[in-house]
Amino acid sequence: MKNIGAILVFVAGTVVGWLYSLLLQKRVKILCSLIQCFQWLETEVGYADVTLAEAFGRIGRRVDPETGMLFSSFAAELNEERGLTAAEAWQQSLAACRDRLTLQGEDWAVLEDFGHTLGSTDREHQLNAIRQTLEKLKLQAEAAAAFRKNNERLYRYLGMAGGALIVILLY
Amino acid sequence: MAFAEKVLPYIIPRLRLVLEKLKTAHPDGWARLEEIRLRSEQPLQVEMGQSFLVTPAGGLTVAPQAACVVRAEDVLRTVQLMGGNSLYTLEEELREGYLTLPGGHRVGLAGECLVEGGHLLRLKRITSLNIRIARELKGIGRGLLPYLVQEARPLRTVIVSPPQAGKTTLLRDLIRCFSNGEDLLAPVKVGLVDERGEVAGSYRGIPQLDVGIRTDLLSGCPKRDGVFLLLRSMGPQLIATDEIGRPGDLEMIEEILNAGVGFLTTAHAWDTTDFSARPSLRKLWARGLVERVVVLSRRLGPGTLEGVWDGRTKEPLSSAARRLEVQR
Repeated sequence: MKNIGAILVFVAGTVVGWLYSLLLQKRVKILCSLIQCFQWLETEVGYADVTLAEAFGRIGRRVDPETGMLFSSFAAELNEERGLTAAEAWQQSLAACRDRLTLQGEDWAVLEDFGHTLGSTDREHQLNAIRQTLEKLKLQAEAAAAFRKNNERLYRYLGMAGGALIVILLY
Repeated sequence: MAFAEKVLPYIIPRLRLVLEKLKTAHPDGWARLEEIRLRSEQPLQVEMGQSFLVTPAGGLTVAPQAACVVRAEDVLRTVQLMGGNSLYTLEEELREGYLTLPGGHRVGLAGECLVEGGHLLRLKRITSLNIRIARELKGIGRGLLPYLVQEARPLRTVIVSPPQAGKTTLLRDLIRCFSNGEDLLAPVKVGLVDERGEVAGSYRGIPQLDVGIRTDLLSGCPKRDGVFLLLRSMGPQLIATDEIGRPGDLEMIEEILNAGVGFLTTAHAWDTTDFSARPSLRKLWARGLVERVVVLSRRLGPGTLEGVWDGRTKEPLSSAARRLEVQR
């Protein structure tokens, strides 16, 4: 019985380590998806004469469901005729998706900054804001990829080592 | 009438609520609503036959101190809502000073301008909005058709009236009647050049108001260019345009005549005397290029028919003033 318990504790520690390393992978994946979305947005705003609700709705349907949720929920907020400005609708969408997207504080700050002038300036300013956000997201993605490379294995080993340590302490 | 209700979603919630209360408190006035005016730091104003201010409780008043005050932010946020929260899609509209809402309602814009080299680039800070309720009164022109057709051929017609007397509404319905062939021997292929987008109420290129099934629409296109394009490409039997009266319009009309095509258009003037005195319209009248002149006024309310004149004999064909009514 004691041995079974020890095995369970060790496996749990290993799983926790794996989960943390998966979160690192997921953050990189979502940042890459966001970069793709903002590249599409640049095309939609710059070359297709569509409103933000149409552009975000379209992008929300094209990208993976997890990232698409942010864009679709923004389009839905705008279409609801509640009288929200684009900036307010963007902040609400970010708040609604905060628990569901694996991003970190700096990533969220980049997205929050993007919303400040959303929809309220001319095309040139909108494109500038999109391009700036794209650049920032690329930097975040590079940093996230580097962090993942350096720490993915560490998290897994720490999980296993943590599990083993608890077992040793309990024995 | 549900015309005015369609503009409410594009007004910010604070003022929308006040207007909804107004609708409940004054349903008759609401049905006659012509304009809603939003001016920064000024009272909320509506036109219902006459000008009223609106109280926060939805009442009508003429006392500015009792009225609901529109804030600068209300105007800006309303413009954002009207532009689908995408002002970058309105660059052309901000240059022209108006935009069109779904339903064909026209919104006039005024405020601080951005000027470069003495030329207006666009509005940069909007402080006044004039929301004009588009009215689609199908059948309002049917009673006039016997005056405007001869041997199945639409006569060259100008509708003349002062502002807000219903000439665009009448023009739209006559286009629809000709295009659908209502009460006519044969329907007519119509080419409509809607320079200001008011006739068809075009929203993102799609007509929001009924201009008939045989109507080819060019919206937002300069009249002269549009007329030539339609004559060359679409083979219309009747060309319809909104307000003429600028230099160069006479040449455009002559070009339409040379192509053997009829025309139906409008002009700002009080009556035939005023019409024949306008420098740019005088020749049209004097040379008998116009076969019928329909004169409207607001004497008995919007859409008062003052009479129909024969443009060649200059004689009135019907001159007893009456309100035009919808005929089904």
